[in-house]
Amino acid sequence: MDIKLPFLGDGIDSATVLSLLLSPGDTVEKDQSIMELETDKAVAPVPSPAAGKIADIKVKAGDIVSTGMLVATLEGGGSKSSPKVDTKESSPVDSAPIQSAVAAPVSQAPQGAANYQFVSPSGQAPPASPSVRKMALDLGLDLARVQGTGNGTRITLDDVRGYMSFLQTSAFSSPAQSVGQSMQVEQAKGPKPLDIDFTKWGSVTVEKVSSMRKKISEKMTEAWQTVPHVTQQDEANIEHAMALRKKYKAKYEKKNAGLTITGISLKAIVTALKAFPNFNSSFDAATGNLITKNYYNIGVAVDTEYGLIVPVIKDVDKKSVFQLSVELGEIAQKARDRKLGINDLQGGTFTLSNLGGLGVSYFTPIINTPEVAILGMGRGKDATSLPLCLSYDHRVIDGADGARFIKTFIQALESFPERDIKI
Amino acid sequence: MKRIKTDVVVIGAGPGGYAAAFFAADEGKEVILIEKDKLGGVCLNRGCIPSKALIHTTELILEAKESSEKGVSFSNPKIDLKKLRAWKNEIISKLSGGVAQLAKARKVKVIEGRAIFDTAKSLRVETDKKQVMIDFDDVIIATGSKPNIPAVFDLGNKRIMTSTEALELEDIPKKLMVIGGGYIGMELGLVYAGLGSEIVMVEAMKDILMGADRDLVRPVKRKAQNLFKELRLDTKVKSLATKGKFVEVKCISPDGKTKTEKYDKVLVSIGRTPNVNDLGLKDIGIEQDEKGFIKINHKCETNIANVYAIGDVAGGILLAHKASKEARIAVETILGHNVSSEKCIIPAVVFTSPEVAWAGITETEAKENGISVKVAKFPWAASGRAKTLGADNGLTKLIVEKETDRVLGVGIVGKGAGELISEGTLAIEMGATAKDLAEIVHPHPTLSETIMECAESLYGVATHTISKRQ
Repeated sequence: MDIKLPFLGDGIDSATVLSLLLSPGDTVEKDQSIMELETDKAVAPVPSPAAGKIADIKVKAGDIVSTGMLVATLEGGGSKSSPKVDTKESSPVDSAPIQSAVAAPVSQAPQGAANYQFVSPSGQAPPASPSVRKMALDLGLDLARVQGTGNGTRITLDDVRGYMSFLQTSAFSSPAQSVGQSMQVEQAKGPKPLDIDFTKWGSVTVEKVSSMRKKISEKMTEAWQTVPHVTQQDEANIEHAMALRKKYKAKYEKKNAGLTITGISLKAIVTALKAFPNFNSSFDAATGNLITKNYYNIGVAVDTEYGLIVPVIKDVDKKSVFQLSVELGEIAQKARDRKLGINDLQGGTFTLSNLGGLGVSYFTPIINTPEVAILGMGRGKDATSLPLCLSYDHRVIDGADGARFIKTFIQALESFPERDIKI
Repeated sequence: MKRIKTDVVVIGAGPGGYAAAFFAADEGKEVILIEKDKLGGVCLNRGCIPSKALIHTTELILEAKESSEKGVSFSNPKIDLKKLRAWKNEIISKLSGGVAQLAKARKVKVIEGRAIFDTAKSLRVETDKKQVMIDFDDVIIATGSKPNIPAVFDLGNKRIMTSTEALELEDIPKKLMVIGGGYIGMELGLVYAGLGSEIVMVEAMKDILMGADRDLVRPVKRKAQNLFKELRLDTKVKSLATKGKFVEVKCISPDGKTKTEKYDKVLVSIGRTPNVNDLGLKDIGIEQDEKGFIKINHKCETNIANVYAIGDVAGGILLAHKASKEARIAVETILGHNVSSEKCIIPAVVFTSPEVAWAGITETEAKENGISVKVAKFPWAASGRAKTLGADNGLTKLIVEKETDRVLGVGIVGKGAGELISEGTLAIEMGATAKDLAEIVHPHPTLSETIMECAESLYGVATHTISKRQ
């Protein structure tokens, strides 16, 4: 059977093959990773849709691949080895860990059109006549995303027309578009090449940065250029929190969780966010809308050997410190193993960046747009102080609010209820 | 030396090359077509067309013989070999002339000569009289293939033939050994058997026509066993030797014993090899596989930009219609269209008696690749039309995707299978389901009904057979 590259996630058209984990002739279990891809947002494994033997791998490290592309073939795989009851579950498309977390961008879309993905039990391309396939190829249209209305779900010319007009409508009415508009304009122009001959002053090394580095650079540039940053610094007394940590650390460790100031701070942040919902919002400059979120997903900046990654911990308000500590451990492990999926990286509402472990005291964090604020933490001059650096978007938040927010956070941390830590 | 400039050069005027040249010209390109032999290539001069002319003739002979069952008897046919040859050659020359006319009408310049690459942007043509230098933007290599004959068999003896010589029809040997039970060996073996030769066929593998499903091969095998003196499977030819007016053949049978026999002629049909020599491919660095076939991608592009290869020389399935399709793909790529040969269904036809044809996946392939399918079969013994044609040894089968009934493969053995298969190809290419085929009205009484009834049998509602619902 053919193994095709699954849907990589919204807004991700292509990825770079980072490494092949298996070679032709290797036996493979269902869901075992065949290769690793580096997308703009994460390193993601491509799992095998079924057990069998790798017959051929069609790509090599460094290749750019896109959704639907044939990447490998499997012998003795096919539907025999996948449970018959739910072919959708076992299809190459759905078993991929990197799934879109974002729903259809427009409400007026034909029902389900944005999320439709053709799945063939035997790995066939979607049914369509040669002329329709040819047109799709010429337009660069992935027919697997077009829902066919003909006999046996065959895609007709009308289906293609309908899908095209849907794409066009959504392209011009997507709210995501206006948020990132300035970025797109910027990207369209592209940065100017650096026109300096550095070798005049000595020898240099030139190497291409990874797509992840490039993405970080684009994202930071965009945040820096569009958001008027204010960074405010303060200090919290963590004597109380450290005492609680000391008291429960061993208990947490027995259950394989580490109790850290980061874990405790996540809860304290939610307290402050609830008091100042502005900090839990996104600003759409084009429409003038402030979108305040009623959920609390906090991104935690993680330093990996591949670069900065910000996995998101979902629904922090609904989780105990213990649960959060377990999740922090898990995402750190996942980040190190390069197993974070798109799901793990999307949907954040606020970000926490702790550089204390590296000995930094104060710094000026850059906001993880489209969020409007980020809290940096550092290492204090003694064991009882915690340096805090709060950056916020001055378009949304004024200085006084910033002051109130940080004071609320400090208050929450300094009087952190023991019952919330107890297990 | 004369030096000319053109948009596109096509090397080889077979069914791939001339199709490419004409299509490029139709799309407004200035085209030069180079052929070192005859317009029409192997297909027209030494392959499909002459073989089919002869097959048709021998079918007639066989049918005349078999019609005694219907109460119509003929005396033994008299074969005027000279006349038969002339008739065959006339078909060839008419068709070849037709190609020349079509080229002229499109203002495609045809140069007869040998092309040798100078660079990836220029080549030299050596004709009888002179040399011409051509500069071009794009080039399509369509030089085809020739019969493969291993050095140990190639004794320079005219009694050892490849398909090329066999189709010349120099005589009707009394005893003919055919080495290789692929489609060429089977087709030509049956031709010579029909003309009266005593055929012994030797095949190294455990069965004949290995690409097709076994149930489709069975009627052909039965017929061959009937018409041939012997059909030896799992048998290898050790050596050929010239012995006066005969060829001495040493065969190793499955039990390891060596048998030595004398034949009037031997036909070697053990595959084909690409025409890649003397083109200067290595000089410009074109990548070839270990067998010499030029490596191409799904757009018929070689490793060098602006150099394309199509048809037999590019490997894959060595069939004329595959070459013609690739001709379209290569030219469209040159025109900057986005095209691909992937997912393109290439039907295969073997013009034996009866004919075998298939398109899409075979049942064997489905099994080997673990694709879960349903297979429906309709034996022609249940077809009225097959009965009236005396062709009830046929079989029609459909291979459909288990969950969706989408038609993935169609296989047919029987009279006219080669004509019938196109409905199967259409069904697969259109993404039709077996239900579609069952719902479409097929005229009665025709052999095409077997496709409809085969689809119906999948649902347990075929009129003329009793079948279980699958």
